[in-house]
Amino acid sequence: MLIVLAWGAGLATVGVGALAVILFGYFDVTASTPHPPLIAWATHMTMQKAVRRNAAGMPPPPRFTAANVQHGFALYDGHCAVCHGGPGVPRAPWISGMTPGPPFLLDTARQWTPNQLYRIVRHGVRMTGMPAWDQTMTQADVWDVVAFLEALPGYTAGDYARARAAETAQSSAPPPRS
Amino acid sequence: MSWPRAWLTLVAPGLLLAACAQSPKTPVNLGGGDPQRGSVLLVREACGACHVIPGIQEAGGEVGPPLSGMARRTMVAGVLPNTPENMARWIRDPQAVVPGNAMPNVGLSQQQALDIAAYLATLR
Repeated sequence: MLIVLAWGAGLATVGVGALAVILFGYFDVTASTPHPPLIAWATHMTMQKAVRRNAAGMPPPPRFTAANVQHGFALYDGHCAVCHGGPGVPRAPWISGMTPGPPFLLDTARQWTPNQLYRIVRHGVRMTGMPAWDQTMTQADVWDVVAFLEALPGYTAGDYARARAAETAQSSAPPPRS
Repeated sequence: MSWPRAWLTLVAPGLLLAACAQSPKTPVNLGGGDPQRGSVLLVREACGACHVIPGIQEAGGEVGPPLSGMARRTMVAGVLPNTPENMARWIRDPQAVVPGNAMPNVGLSQQQALDIAAYLATLR
């Protein structure tokens, strides 16, 4: 009986404490300081487990062709590199002000499966600043981004710069006559 | 992040302090930087996406070399003698030191680069 009362009192105290944090704003919501280690661990772990769980039931990913990778590069360089950089390519300077900050993705294909990357790109990640790209990209576009991420560990800084130059040359070329 | 690594992230700063406290014989040359500010910059600049860095959140990247024991290394980037000043030079402008390598120039000030170099100089 005494044990039940003690547990009840303990849980009530924790509950009141949590409510006080919420109602009185006793939490650092600024982006000026990094997450405390416990918050960083808890949020990142939750994200990783949720992505793995959500991607678990997906059918196998499509086979990627060189054309997929090339189109994926154009999408990545135009939409993703500003926050995630590339080999020899920095992120935009203001990205350093984000908490949590978006990582460089040079070895992300070694940490996630194609299906997991597809989930992350398509649906975004809440409370990290990662948008859900299904709002502005087709599903085929998202797969092409994944195709590029799978190829990215093989890109040197020189390869990336050359791909960027080729893309610029192509997009600034006059449109074909019909 | 795996359980052991998460655990390490939590206790690494403590271990680091304990290790420093135990070996006062060799004075550490931190250069003109502040290791505390450097540790925040290492998180902010996402250095851990490419490098394993003891004591830094989520720093488990396996693109570049692990920075564990950096203070004991002889060379920075294989080409500069390992001093805090040279480390800062490399961090500020890696493309000038080793053109075409994968590490980008992220636009740090000299003081910011020295702060990061000071933190790395504590990793023995």
